Amino acid sequence: MAQRKPSMPKALPSILRYGLAAASVAIAVGTALLLARYQFRGVADPLFLFAIAIAVWYAGRGPAILAVVLSALADAYFFIEPLYSFSVTRSELPHFVIFIGFALLLTWFSAVRRRVEQELLQSRDELEREVAERTQQASLLNLTHDTIFVHNMSDIITYWNRGAEELYGWTAQEAIGKHSHQLLQTDFPIPIEEVRAELLRTGRWEGELRKTKADGSRLVVASRWSLRRDEQGRAVAILETNNDISDRKRREEEIRKLNIELTKRTTDLETTNKELEAFAYSTSHDLRAPLRHVVGFTELLQKNASSRLDEKGQRYITTILESAKKMGTLIDDLLAFSRIGRMEARETMVSLGDLVKEVLGEVQQETDGRNIAWRIGTLPDLCGDRSMLRLVLVNLISNAVKFTRTREQAEIEIGCMEKKEDGLVVFVKDNGVGFDMKYVNKLFGVFQRLHQSEAFEGTGIGLATVQRIIHRHGGRVWAEGLVDSGATFFFSVPSHRR
Amino acid sequence: MDRLGRILMVEDDRKDVELTLTALEEYNLANEVVVTGDGAEALDYLYCRGNFKARSGDNPAVLLLDLKLPKVDGLEVLQQIKSDEKLRMIPVVVLTSSREERDMVTSYKLGVNAYVVKPVDFHEFVNAIKELGVFWAIVNEPPPGSVRNR
Repeated sequence: MAQRKPSMPKALPSILRYGLAAASVAIAVGTALLLARYQFRGVADPLFLFAIAIAVWYAGRGPAILAVVLSALADAYFFIEPLYSFSVTRSELPHFVIFIGFALLLTWFSAVRRRVEQELLQSRDELEREVAERTQQASLLNLTHDTIFVHNMSDIITYWNRGAEELYGWTAQEAIGKHSHQLLQTDFPIPIEEVRAELLRTGRWEGELRKTKADGSRLVVASRWSLRRDEQGRAVAILETNNDISDRKRREEEIRKLNIELTKRTTDLETTNKELEAFAYSTSHDLRAPLRHVVGFTELLQKNASSRLDEKGQRYITTILESAKKMGTLIDDLLAFSRIGRMEARETMVSLGDLVKEVLGEVQQETDGRNIAWRIGTLPDLCGDRSMLRLVLVNLISNAVKFTRTREQAEIEIGCMEKKEDGLVVFVKDNGVGFDMKYVNKLFGVFQRLHQSEAFEGTGIGLATVQRIIHRHGGRVWAEGLVDSGATFFFSVPSHRR
Repeated sequence: MDRLGRILMVEDDRKDVELTLTALEEYNLANEVVVTGDGAEALDYLYCRGNFKARSGDNPAVLLLDLKLPKVDGLEVLQQIKSDEKLRMIPVVVLTSSREERDMVTSYKLGVNAYVVKPVDFHEFVNAIKELGVFWAIVNEPPPGSVRNR
């Protein structure tokens, strides 16, 4: 504790304090004896009292007692009859006792006074420290970017920090003394009575308030109120912290609008999807039925009336049947193609190796009597929809079979390799009729065909289906070919599917 | 032929009816085929009401049911039959143009006995009808209460 001014009692070590007491008494004795020599009488007692007073003031109570004792002894020895003896005559006794009593009283009074003064000094120091601390805190509040102000229970502003000046545009001088909610035109989301009730009940309140700046612009703030009570527990002031959340509110509003838009678009999309589904559904029903009738009755005609038809008529009937059947295949392929877009993928771990074996068993009929050298490499397992991946392999493999039809010795290779930019890539390679790379971008379009129907039958939907499925699995399809030198079809397997 | 059960065919398309009957005739299966043009009429037949008040109360040996029907559609007829104590034993074969998976799933959930997609190819169609007719009207032992001509 940093002491100011008369601080000797605490600051001096005991020996010095007692020494001081003894010395002051010694000086008093010396002075009294000196004065006695010049015939001054009766100065001993005041001098002793003076010495005691000095001792008690500067050295504390213990040394003061010592001074009293030494003074009494010196008084008895040097100044009270009989002189040079510690004994006291009866007639001198009252004088001596009064002297001691007075000395003790002086000691006691001085000690009390000294203590009171010490306490006073101490509380003054504490007060000064507190003032310094508060001042520092207030300037700290000024340092923060947060807007902080205080209003009393009548909502009159009593404190206004720099953050408040910056946010609202009024200086502290302008704001202090004004009615807070009138100055800021505060809009409360709930009645102010409820805010006050909660504040009084819990000591705090927080919520969003709309306020107005000095320039008249409106803003939204996140407001926190804390109640300050005095020592008797009476509510005296409200500390309000404001954070400007106008930007956040604006962004929230934008996000809300975007979300509504998104929901609307999703609904639109769902509606479109449903329409598409309904379309595909009725196509499946209504397009196939008349086709079946055409085929059915034409076949009945062929069976029952062929004897009455000439060769030309017979050929017409055959053409009708072929066309109708082709249309049937077309409808089925188209429906399968559209179903891929609508169907939910059921993902499991699929062994491509097993799947290829299965598909090869299926195309066996088509390859009967043909000379095909199959080279099947090691194929990966991947996570995907089994039936869709099967469709990919069916399409690629039957294409390879179809377009090698003109080869004496067909060679079809199915394998997989690692490519830098695509990761794992599966390919189906044949030595068939191939294609001109000029048309490679037409290969995967719906109804796009690079060969005339007479040469190679097909609906032009197979590779579009392949592409759709691979895209749904997050991969990529492409092809390389050379006219009359075979074609290779590739699809990549994204790393997260392995 | 003497062991042929009565077939109830529910089909609104007259051309389909003709083709089916032709297919059945080809195998001499067509002599006891009752045709109703919509689901409501089919239920009238099964419950012996309306136009069919006078018929004997036997259940058909098999029901060939189209799905897309006027008034009461095929799935509703199927649901009605399979939830009725007296009718649920009748074998029901859905015979439809639709290859839609959800129709198939719903039909099986409702307890259909077979689900056949009518092939475009007439030969295949005839074969399918023949097999159906032979299996359900001749080979299959019908539940008690359905008629079988002797």
